[in-house]
Amino acid sequence: MKNYALSITHSLQAKRAKLVSALRITHYILLLFLLASCVDVDEYPDTPNGNFEALWHIIDEHYCFFDYKAEAIGLNWDEVYQRYSKQFDSGMTEVQQFEVLTNMLSELRDGHVNLYSSFDVGRNWSWHENYPQNFADTLLRKYLGTDYKIATGMRYRILDDNIGYIYCGSFANELGEGNLDDIMAYLMPCNGLIIDIRDNGGGMITSAEQFAARFTNKEILVGYMQHKTGKGHSQFSAMEEQRLKPSKGIRWQKRVAILTNRSVFSAANEFVKYMRCCPNVIVVGDKTGGGAGLPFSSELPNGWGVRFSACPMYDRDKQSTEFGIEPDYNVAITDADALQSKDTIIEFARKKLAE
Amino acid sequence: MILSSIHTPHSPRLYTPLHIGRGWGWVCLLFLFAIPSFAQEEEPFVQKTSTNMIGVGRSELLDTYLSPEKYHGTEIRYAFHSNKPLRWGKYLTQTMIHQGYFANTHNRADNNDELAGGYNFQYHVRYNWRPAQGLLVAAGGGPDLNIGYVYNTRNTNNPAQLKASLNLAPSAMVRYDLPTRHFTFRFGYEVMAPLIGVMFSPNYGQSYYEIFNEGNKDHNVIFTTIAKTPSLRQMLSVDIRHRRWSKTWIRLGYLGDYQQARVNHLKYHDYSHLFILGVTKGF
Repeated sequence: MKNYALSITHSLQAKRAKLVSALRITHYILLLFLLASCVDVDEYPDTPNGNFEALWHIIDEHYCFFDYKAEAIGLNWDEVYQRYSKQFDSGMTEVQQFEVLTNMLSELRDGHVNLYSSFDVGRNWSWHENYPQNFADTLLRKYLGTDYKIATGMRYRILDDNIGYIYCGSFANELGEGNLDDIMAYLMPCNGLIIDIRDNGGGMITSAEQFAARFTNKEILVGYMQHKTGKGHSQFSAMEEQRLKPSKGIRWQKRVAILTNRSVFSAANEFVKYMRCCPNVIVVGDKTGGGAGLPFSSELPNGWGVRFSACPMYDRDKQSTEFGIEPDYNVAITDADALQSKDTIIEFARKKLAE
Repeated sequence: MILSSIHTPHSPRLYTPLHIGRGWGWVCLLFLFAIPSFAQEEEPFVQKTSTNMIGVGRSELLDTYLSPEKYHGTEIRYAFHSNKPLRWGKYLTQTMIHQGYFANTHNRADNNDELAGGYNFQYHVRYNWRPAQGLLVAAGGGPDLNIGYVYNTRNTNNPAQLKASLNLAPSAMVRYDLPTRHFTFRFGYEVMAPLIGVMFSPNYGQSYYEIFNEGNKDHNVIFTTIAKTPSLRQMLSVDIRHRRWSKTWIRLGYLGDYQQARVNHLKYHDYSHLFILGVTKGF
């Protein structure tokens, strides 16, 4: 009996020890978790000053062209902070806040930088508003007529000198490969091709790639791309190659003239960058508007959205195209031609393709 | 002499007749062990159970790749837990957990939404103890797999975040049965925390276009420890069984799921606080 009582005691002690071990394991799990701490952020208050601080820091930590624009236009974001922080006080109205914040963002001179509220879109469009338009819908209608064809968002026809003409006004939608095959097949008998992308504000980079792929028979280097790896102005990844692969559909083999103006921006600017690497291509018109930063989105405490350039893209010579691409032939629409319903840029391109 | 004293909720306590003479003692032992072995199989140390639960509650999302703002809203979740003894270890059990959830959250200004959803699978092997009557303690661990997404309805080139991770996670469970005249109350607490693993994340300012269209990888598969991903899942529950319900329990409880990550200079957290209602079936 004494032995039995001892064995019971030992058994209870063993069980107590196991319970303590189990509780210890649980305790260590929770302790490890607590020591590792919460992953959190300090949110800015929803006040005029809070929204200003939030916007300045979003741009400071994510915008990708500080080094480039410090060199190109003398931009100093810290100096911008000093100048604009004094303009905010708790008595400002929403409209006043929006105006001052937009003015601050305009210092970046970037068409990919916008502030979105329920009543307006803050923007800086000086990259095209400060220059002649070099494009007119009334002139375009003279060349297209009324019996032009429409496919995958493009308008196209054969001009009377057997030059094919395509107007591509946007890359906002995905292009249909079958549609592009039909366009190429229809224009195949032409001596040359004009691709008019004036006033094309961009859209999907993949659509620009899709279209450009019709103009190369082999894979070619067309540029470079990188992204930020941290909050510092100069923290970037290595430059990765952008390569254009030939389309598996019908590819154009003859000469091409791309028509551009200052409103050619973003994905359309990328299209020009790709096409300059393809054979038998000339660019005619005005310098493009640029826009070489893939934009990301964010927001302020008051719910206003903000867009900014986040991933910089470069041409094949590793040069930035943020402020535009110069044409091969700088041509502007003259008043005299316009009065005669002639588009000087189209006429120049037709003559070049006929040479 | 064999002294058998396996304590389970159902099996009787057995005593050896040590004072009887050796020969008669052996006959009596045979007699005592033979009849019970023909009349009744040995009960498992831990019963096999499966539990289906639905949870509703609050969710808080933070993903600095999408927005510096925290989003708050409602989450619904379905969870299935199965717990059964392992054949190759009397005190070992395997627990499998499948969870699916969806959350609809809003920013401070209530003018934008983030939608989140995902699936979680856990497999735990635990060692069980019964240190006291009605008390079950288990500890162990196993893999924890997560696949999900967070989608910001307003963003342009960074509209969504893919969530994918695989971890090794220790886990523990404590359960206490309190029988009354008509009901049995089973109080339970389970906890698990991922210790080490791997997860997917874009780099700080990297676009998904670069990763998936261009094939440019940059620290996208990251080895993690609890320091980088301090996360925890816990459930506090009470299962209730009426004496006439045989092996069916109704479960009420709280499920807290706190997932966090700080990688590639990005911060992420998903805090879920859910009231759960479920049914547990024993086998």
